Formats: sequence, structure tokens, C-alpha cells
Amino acid sequence: MYLKLAWRNLWRNHRRTLITVSSIMFAVVTALFIESLERGAHNLMIDNMTSFHTGYIQVQDYRYDEEPSLDNAFPFDEAFERRVMEMDERIEYTIPRIETFMLAAGDVQTRGAFVLGIDLERENRLNDLENRLTEGRFFEPGDGTAVVSEGLAGRLNLSVGDTLALIGQGRFGMTAAGVFEISGLMNHPQRDMNNQLVYISLPDAQWLLSADEHITALLVTPSNARYSDSIARTLRSGVEGEELSVYTWEEMMPDLLEALEFDRLGTRVYMGILYLIIGFGIFGTILMMTLERLREFGILLSVGMRRLKLALVVFIETFLISLLGIFSGSILGFFIILYFMRNPIHLGDDVGELMVEFGFDPILPTTLASDIFFWQCLIIFIIATLISLYPSGKILRLNIQEASRK
Amino acid sequence: MISEPTQEDKPMSIITTHNLSKVYNPDTVPVHALRDVSLEFEEGEFTTVRGPSGSGKTTLLNMIGGLDEPSSGYVVVDGVRITGMPDRKLINFRLNNIGFVFQSYNLVPVFTAYENVTFIMLLQKSSKKEMDDRAHELLDAVGLSSKLNSRPKELSGGEQQRVAVARALASRPKFILADEPTANLDSKSAMNLLDMMEKMNREENVTFIFSSHDQRVIDRARRVITMVDGAIYSDEKQTPKRTEPAK
Repeated sequence: MYLKLAWRNLWRNHRRTLITVSSIMFAVVTALFIESLERGAHNLMIDNMTSFHTGYIQVQDYRYDEEPSLDNAFPFDEAFERRVMEMDERIEYTIPRIETFMLAAGDVQTRGAFVLGIDLERENRLNDLENRLTEGRFFEPGDGTAVVSEGLAGRLNLSVGDTLALIGQGRFGMTAAGVFEISGLMNHPQRDMNNQLVYISLPDAQWLLSADEHITALLVTPSNARYSDSIARTLRSGVEGEELSVYTWEEMMPDLLEALEFDRLGTRVYMGILYLIIGFGIFGTILMMTLERLREFGILLSVGMRRLKLALVVFIETFLISLLGIFSGSILGFFIILYFMRNPIHLGDDVGELMVEFGFDPILPTTLASDIFFWQCLIIFIIATLISLYPSGKILRLNIQEASRK
Repeated sequence: MISEPTQEDKPMSIITTHNLSKVYNPDTVPVHALRDVSLEFEEGEFTTVRGPSGSGKTTLLNMIGGLDEPSSGYVVVDGVRITGMPDRKLINFRLNNIGFVFQSYNLVPVFTAYENVTFIMLLQKSSKKEMDDRAHELLDAVGLSSKLNSRPKELSGGEQQRVAVARALASRPKFILADEPTANLDSKSAMNLLDMMEKMNREENVTFIFSSHDQRVIDRARRVITMVDGAIYSDEKQTPKRTEPAK
């Protein structure tokens, strides 16, 4: 009966109820969208950085972090790889890399280059590298060709089919020099990398750098990114006593984490203001509803309804309004987020350029994460519930006679 | 002009007010709504408290109904002193002992006539069958058995007030307090309502105490208490008479 009373009371004043439901719905949609946009942008940044830079977990020689030199490369073979894979069944695959800085020269120009020796097949699984190719083809293992990033190729005035000379220092002071035919040009999503990157096959790199069967990093890819920390812990205990270290992407990119945290803080402040506005909006309607119905409350108390029961009925009303608002807001929010997930917002010229400058795609995608829905709906629900305490409190303190006179 | 009560075969009082006084704004501009009112009401009475606006009729009924606290004096209902009773106990007491009929009906607008009547019994935790039987019986008695499922806005003023009477009776109260019950009704509806309440009083010995300055209500009462400026001016028994509505 109380539920029936509350439900019917809701629809006594359709307009008021619909305004309240709409304000909660708007609140839910806005909160969901902002949170999803922020998470989507962050995920994209993390994805870019992990895919093209660090991976989710790396195994390195324990000295490499302090002194990133080929002298601190570590031996890598199939047996080691198998051992790593067996340490945790949530590891999906591993990617060996060898990387160093060298001089890259064309006919007339010389530039500093970041040379990456890779296993193309496995890199493709992580970052779909082959799809970044803008011209030519990728190399076969050991075929003596290189893929050069467009920015660097432009600076060296080189194109597909030209010869690239790489000069530097190999392992333990060995001279490293070699010429590679440019088999393809690629576009790296991060601008600074796009201006200095040279990809060669892992065997070619090991030969060039006198680092046979050595790599500088083994990237470990978990079946799900959220397992990164626990897999890293397993690996750490697995390689204990060996001269190896294991890092997660958060440990390798503290600056990125700080930037994301700072960004999140800004969003929290914005969300706090939004919650405040929403809260006052809902409170205004509830206040109006309460004051309009004081006489009715007084009468119900006169005829014998207990204060707590009446407060419960009014609480149920607010609860139902909140539920309706949250439910409709979630559905609408779901479709809006889905739309912007499939059609991300493209940032305009200036902001877009700035994003590219910092190495990020100039888009703002959304993400459909269930925890966003859960937390945002819960927060709005708590706000609405706290607001419903006002009419309940008013009923508990109501002077029956004064209320009945209103 | 207060008539002396007779002592012969006097039935037990169901309500007693002892030196009731009520002063609003005692610290600023004191308004004496009630001045030392002592009254007794017996079971089965059909009494009207009359008086001009501001004479203290409604305040008196509010005190008797436990809706307001006196500044001094107290009220005893069926041997229980309700003045100063804790709020929760008082609400329970009202629910089980007192029926209210208000000037503007005050039905729950979202409930049907049937639900308005059963709602009170639900508060008393009556069984479903008991609620159902009583609601049908009462709505039949007030002549609304065909409008069980009508909501207040679908009923006329007179019909709404009859539902209010049925609601007031639903909890089987010891007495009913009706504050200006005919004030918003046309003559015919007022007569029908009074007929119905008189019948319930006569046949079921339900005690009614009205506050009204409507002559039709005053004429029907067997006891008329007149109040002026918060005090009892007169308290008289009379032979009720039925004033036919003007054609």
C-alpha cells in the first residue's frame, strides 16, 4: 500500500515528476559522458604509449633502467621466452626488442635516430605496426632493409628504395655501422618518434650492434591490461636471483601517470561542481514538493499515520524518481557514449595540433566501462537519497496543527 | 446562561476537558484562543460547538483530538490523559480512538474511495478480509457502494465528505470530531450528510462532536455548546430539528 501510495503520488503532478526525473537523467548522462570521455582519452593515451613505446610489462637487465646502454642488454633465446610464458598463464605473448640511438645518414644529411630491432609479426599483435606503413613494405627478418618514419625520412631527404646508413656504437664499444635499403616509410603516432625512428628486423639489429642473441627489453603482454600488476609481481619472483628487473608501464612512465592524475583531478573538480548544480536542482524540486504538501502530511498524521511511515512513503517517492532518472539516464547515456565511441570527437586545428605535438591522436573517444556506469549512477543516487532526507526530516519535525492549517 | 448539568442517570464521560486554556504568542501579542474550558462529553452524543469565527471552536476540537497542546489544563479521553502524551503514543491513540472529518474533506487524492477507507485500517494492521468487509459496509452505509473505485476528483463535494465520514468510522473510533463538515457543501449535500451521520449516531451509537456555525448542523444537534472569545458562553440540550433545504 505504501509503495502504491508513493507511486501514485509521483504521478499526481506529472510535470513536476518529469522535471525531476529529467534533471536526474541529465545529471546521469552528463556525468557518464564526462567520465567516459576522460577515461576514453586516457585509455587512448595509455594505449598509444604502451603499444608503441613500453608495452604493459618489460623485462630488462637490472642495470638498463639506470644506464640504457647496449652493454646492459641481456641474453634472450627460446628457452628463456618459454620460461617467462610459463610463469603466468595470463601472459598472452612476449615481444623481444633491441633499441639504441645511432646516427642515420642519407646522401647529404645526418640525423640522430632511434633504432629499433623488432620481431614484426609480434609487434603487429601489439600495435598493428604494419598498418602504419604509408609507402613500400615492411622487411623480412634479416633481409637488410629498414622502415623509416616519415619525419626522419623527410629530414634526410630519403624515400623508399634509397639507402640509409646507420652509424653508432654496438655492444661493449664495438663499432656499429651498416647500410640498409629503405623498404618502406611509416607514420608513427607520436610526432617526436616520427622524426627519429628506424625499424629494422631483430636479427639485423643484433648483427649490426654485435649483440647476438641479446635484447634490451622483453615486452610481456597480458591477456588483459588489468592483470599487469599481478603478472609483474609473478615475474619478479620468477626471475629473482637473476640480473633482471621487471617493470610495469606505470613504473616506466611516471610522467604520463602524473599528467593523467592531474587531468583526473581537473575532471573531479568539474564533476564536483556538476554534482552540486544537480543536487541543488533536485533539492529545489523536492523542496517545492514538500512545501506544497505540508497540509497533506499534516492530515495524514492527524488521521493516525505514523511519522516514520509517512517519511518512508516520501522517501520511496524520491527513491522511485531517482531510480527512474538513473535508469533512463543510463540508457540514454549508453547510446550517446556508444555513438561517440564509434564516432570520436575530432579536435579542431589548434588543439588537435597540440595533441599531435604531445604525441597523441587528436581525437576524444569515449569508453563503455561498466564501472563508470556503476559509480556515476551510485553517486547521483546517493545525492538524490541525501536530498530525500529533507522532506523526511521535515515530516519527523512537523507540527501537525500548523501543517493542517496551511 | 450556562445550564446546570443534571446528575440523574448520567452515563460515563468519554471526553473530559479540565480548565483548558490556550494562548498563542504569549511573549509578544498574546491571543487567548481558549479560556478555562471544562466540558464533559458522553458516549452517543450528537453535539455541536458553535460560535463566531475566532471563538475557539476549532482550537477546542484540536485539543480534544490531541492535535494541539493546551497552554494549561488537560484532556482525558476514555480515562486516558492525552495531554502531554508522547507524539508516537498520541498518533496511535488518535488512530484507534478518534475519527476526524475535515472541512475540505482531505482525502488521499491518489486513492480510490475504497482505498481511502481501507488505508486507515491498514495503519491499524487489520486483516485484508476485515478491511474489505468494513470498507464495503461503510461505503454502503454512506451510500457510495457504486463509487468504490472512484478517486476524490471524480466525486462531488458531498460524496467526498461522505467518504471522509466512512474513513473516520473505519477505525471504529470512540468518537468523531467533525470540523465544519458542511462548510463546503451545498444545501442538499449537507442535508444528506447530516442525515447519514444522524443515522449512524442513532443506530450505531457513534459519538459526533461538530464545530460549526452552520445553522443546519446546529439544528440537528441534541447538545449545543456556544463559545465566545475562547470561553463557554452556553451549554444546552435541545430537541433536534431537520431543516429542509431551500427548493
